Amino acid sequence: MGLRELLPGRRPRPGPGTPLADLAAASAVDPATPLDQVRLLALDLETTGLDPRRHEVLSVGHVPVAQGRILLAHARHELVRPQGPVGESAVHHGLTDDRLAHVPDLAQVLPRVLEALRTGSAQDGEDARPVRRVLLAHFAQIETDFLAAACRRLYGTDVPLQVVDTLTLAQRMLRVPTPELASGRLRLDACRRHYRLPRYRAHSALTDALACAELFLAQSAELAEQYGRPLRLADVLTR
Amino acid sequence: MDVELAEIRDFLAEHPPFDALPADVLDRLPARCTVSYARRGTVVLRPGDHGDRLYLVRSGAVDITDEGHLVDRVGAGGGFGMSALVEHVPARYAATAREDTLLLELPQADFDALAAEHPAVAVHFAATHHGRITAAIAQLQTPARGSAVLKTSVRDLLRAPQPVSVAPSATVAEGARVMTAAGVSSLLVMEGGSLVGIVTDRDLRRRVLAAGVPPDRPVGEVMTPDPVTLPARALALEAMLEMTGRNIHHLPVVEDGRVLGLVTTTDLVRLERSNPVYVVADVQRQEDVAGVVEQAARIPAVVGQLVREDASAADVGRVLAALTDAVTRRLVVLAETQLGPAPGRYAWAALGSVAREEQGLASDQDHALVLADDADPADPWWAAMAERVTAGLEACGLPRCPGGTMATDPRWRQRVSGWRSQFARWGEEPAPEAVLRAAIFYDMRAVHGDADLVVGLRSEVVPLGGRSDLLLAHLTAQSARMRPPIGFFRGLVLEDAGEHRDTLDLKRGIAAVVQMARIHALRAGSTALGSGARLAAAREAGILPKESATDLTDALELLSYLRLRHQAARVAAGEVPDNHLDPRRLGSLDRRHLRDAFAVVRSAQQGLSSRSPQVG
Repeated sequence: MGLRELLPGRRPRPGPGTPLADLAAASAVDPATPLDQVRLLALDLETTGLDPRRHEVLSVGHVPVAQGRILLAHARHELVRPQGPVGESAVHHGLTDDRLAHVPDLAQVLPRVLEALRTGSAQDGEDARPVRRVLLAHFAQIETDFLAAACRRLYGTDVPLQVVDTLTLAQRMLRVPTPELASGRLRLDACRRHYRLPRYRAHSALTDALACAELFLAQSAELAEQYGRPLRLADVLTR
Repeated sequence: MDVELAEIRDFLAEHPPFDALPADVLDRLPARCTVSYARRGTVVLRPGDHGDRLYLVRSGAVDITDEGHLVDRVGAGGGFGMSALVEHVPARYAATAREDTLLLELPQADFDALAAEHPAVAVHFAATHHGRITAAIAQLQTPARGSAVLKTSVRDLLRAPQPVSVAPSATVAEGARVMTAAGVSSLLVMEGGSLVGIVTDRDLRRRVLAAGVPPDRPVGEVMTPDPVTLPARALALEAMLEMTGRNIHHLPVVEDGRVLGLVTTTDLVRLERSNPVYVVADVQRQEDVAGVVEQAARIPAVVGQLVREDASAADVGRVLAALTDAVTRRLVVLAETQLGPAPGRYAWAALGSVAREEQGLASDQDHALVLADDADPADPWWAAMAERVTAGLEACGLPRCPGGTMATDPRWRQRVSGWRSQFARWGEEPAPEAVLRAAIFYDMRAVHGDADLVVGLRSEVVPLGGRSDLLLAHLTAQSARMRPPIGFFRGLVLEDAGEHRDTLDLKRGIAAVVQMARIHALRAGSTALGSGARLAAAREAGILPKESATDLTDALELLSYLRLRHQAARVAAGEVPDNHLDPRRLGSLDRRHLRDAFAVVRSAQQGLSSRSPQVG
């Protein structure tokens, strides 16, 4: 198993008893695992900008995916109170300072997100250690960077996550060179149109997480057909 | 919780039956669901699968097939997987993704809870499910049409969801208790899922009580082992033959070794009661108007039965005409009995849809009297008789014609010579209003009395009308105004105001085809009455291309069939049958066919208008 991220010394261990420590203690998923046995968590963040050093998280939406199904019962959406004003970014996400004035701050919300990334014990029972969910996002760098920055600030360290990025998958499947990124062909909406998935009118962190999860189901179905065999996690894993 | 799965919620809110749910119920529904994805060609459900969820198509499309035959095509907002939910049996049909499809799944337990609290949800999916079964059965049907026992399969007769059964080791007393509790007269004896015997009330009497067998003996000792069974596709006729031939009253129905239910003699009797032949015979036996009215009340049920058997609209139209004729004839005879013999030779003639044998359940009365040339139209006997018959028909559920086209109007009680000059005036009449009225008189059929009077009259006036360019032009202009509703909402235009808001007036499409057939028949000089026969006559006369004749005939059949099914459903629900269909209640396949039918009508109208002489 690729556990290089847990090698001692490279990075300080998270303080025991914290949600981050629990997540760190959970096993990473073996990339050889059949994809339908992997649990994923589709996650989306709305932020005030793209730079985790300067910008803040305003809302978090996530919904688990397991055995080829999106589990709406466990879908969560949380607003996050920023330290500074939302500024111009309100144009994109519609979240105003007033709307966010009395919601929990990131220190309260982050533990719940980390908890969602850690499932219960492994299903088979052989390995009783908790297993992590694989993070599923479209252009996942935003989510991983902001989560890592938040963890470092709150716990002094972070835990790299296994990631499936639907944008990377789309790039690979459509054979689009990277410069095309900016042209919008690979934006979430555009990718969904490619699979004729329904259009979502409103945007919120949860809607986008759900949209990303649906896109992933469509992509993995197509990929399995191309390969002519059931997929393994390694087939879709970005890192 | 905040309505965070708003997109899913809004999707549900757009589609029946969820659109009728209270907002708070709707808000909670998305969180009960899971989402899955089926690539084109993926089989989502196989027949025999034990489904445990309702599938709703979120995007894409799914084909429902029965042994390769398409039963339904489900688009966004449609559902499947109802066998498990509604009937608690394994899937009947295969469900295959026709396009890449996103599915919303509601687990059985959540569906049950929802359906328990909101029965409309259960009713909606049960109706969809029933519609699919009907469609599937239609695929299996032979084209031959006969009495109900020839057309109905025993599967159609099954009512209770699960037959009552016990193990062979159960005691006779236990068996009797089970039967009493379930209110049934027979008990299946099952061992390891297979049928090993049957016990009936009669067996308990003869083999237990009369034989002095103690009630603690096992059922296996008194049952009829290896009972006669029927496959689900057997016809009711076969069931009848088995029962009378073997003197038994209960027949288990099996499919793939599985018992589906029981058919009893009661089921067969009920089936035969709605046979039109019996109704006609019963009508003829009545000695007063009240008796005729009472028998006529059975007619909607007869139509309902025929619709359930998936008889064609053309067949149902003929049966309905035969029944209406029988009622009319009996009313005329009763009037003659009361008023004394008629003061001359005459014919009671049906007009319009009854004459064409194309009526639906919402048709009103249209009729006339054709008197022999030596009869006196001024004799009060005619008016008295016409009033009695008209009132009788009204009591039988056929409303009076709002336009007054009935034998009660002295203008429509004429001698043959009078009718001849009337038709001649219509041929030369410049006023379109008069021609509007005329159309219906070209559909005239003798129901009672001297049929030759009508036949003779028509053989003269039909060719006359066919030679009148003015009449044809007026009729064509009138037909062009009967715009089939096609174009906006999912390809169909709905009434946008009034009591029939958001419905589709099927009569407009039907009337347009009927009128075109009438015009074509006149031009061909044909005295045919039925629209199908008229289109065929026009085709043979080389006036109408073969494809157009076939398309119009098919369009008329489909529109009439949908109207009948709609009317039968309204009657079954205790409502007044009408012509206003809610397209949202149609399956996607029906909707597509309906759109095609309207498109056929529209293009035929355009063709007719461009070829016919024009009026200003």
